[in-house]
Amino acid sequence: MPEPNFGQLAQRLLDKGIQPRIVRRAVGELRDHYDDLVIAAQRDGMNEMRARDRAASQLGEPDLIVTAMSAQRALRSWPFRYPRVAVVIYPLACLLLLPAAPVVAGMSHASAVVRWGTSLLIAGIFTASLLLVLQLSILFG
Amino acid sequence: MAQSNPPFMSGVPELLLLRLLKQQEMYGYELVRAIREVTGEAISLGEGVIYPVLHSLERSGALKARRKAVGGRTRVYYALTKKGAARLDRLQDDWHRIQGGITTVLESPGHA
Repeated sequence: MPEPNFGQLAQRLLDKGIQPRIVRRAVGELRDHYDDLVIAAQRDGMNEMRARDRAASQLGEPDLIVTAMSAQRALRSWPFRYPRVAVVIYPLACLLLLPAAPVVAGMSHASAVVRWGTSLLIAGIFTASLLLVLQLSILFG
Repeated sequence: MAQSNPPFMSGVPELLLLRLLKQQEMYGYELVRAIREVTGEAISLGEGVIYPVLHSLERSGALKARRKAVGGRTRVYYALTKKGAARLDRLQDDWHRIQGGITTVLESPGHA
């Protein structure tokens, strides 16, 4: 049996929607388990190649591990646990909340909004005054 | 070594893991060795398959995990929680009920 490719196993688990944190820990545990099996086989008198072969066989087919892992719904990321919510309800909720975003942002940065608003108001009054003076000077000058 | 029989193995790894962890905390490799020793190799598992069960039990609150450095390596040790102990009691009751039912059928002359 070929030596397990743990990097590939991790990628397959991620593709199945298993949470990255769980994948990292599970693959680490599987790697340690494999090392322990190799050491045990070598203690039984096997050379390294045979020991690795036996360890891989005892650990089990990667397909079985992927199937067993993805069968545990609790281990999946939420978009894989609730695909309808992820594909339909979540984007809809985002679209509905989008118009509220500037208001929420404005409320959370109220002091900056007031400063900018005051500055704009003063600048507007100043510009209007200048235009008024100009207009009056044209009319009565 | 006994052949593994997936349809008959449903729920068995969970029961065995909870029962073994009731005695003491253990890491994955230790657990598999303990299963082999306790069952006299009557139960054969693809050893990697216990990790999904352990992680799932941890997620449900039946087990808690902690990292512990042993012999220069960091192991993830699993221990039974109160919730896990209650789950073990339920599973044991279910197991004894099913076992009793099957034994009755097997020993009944009408079904021999």
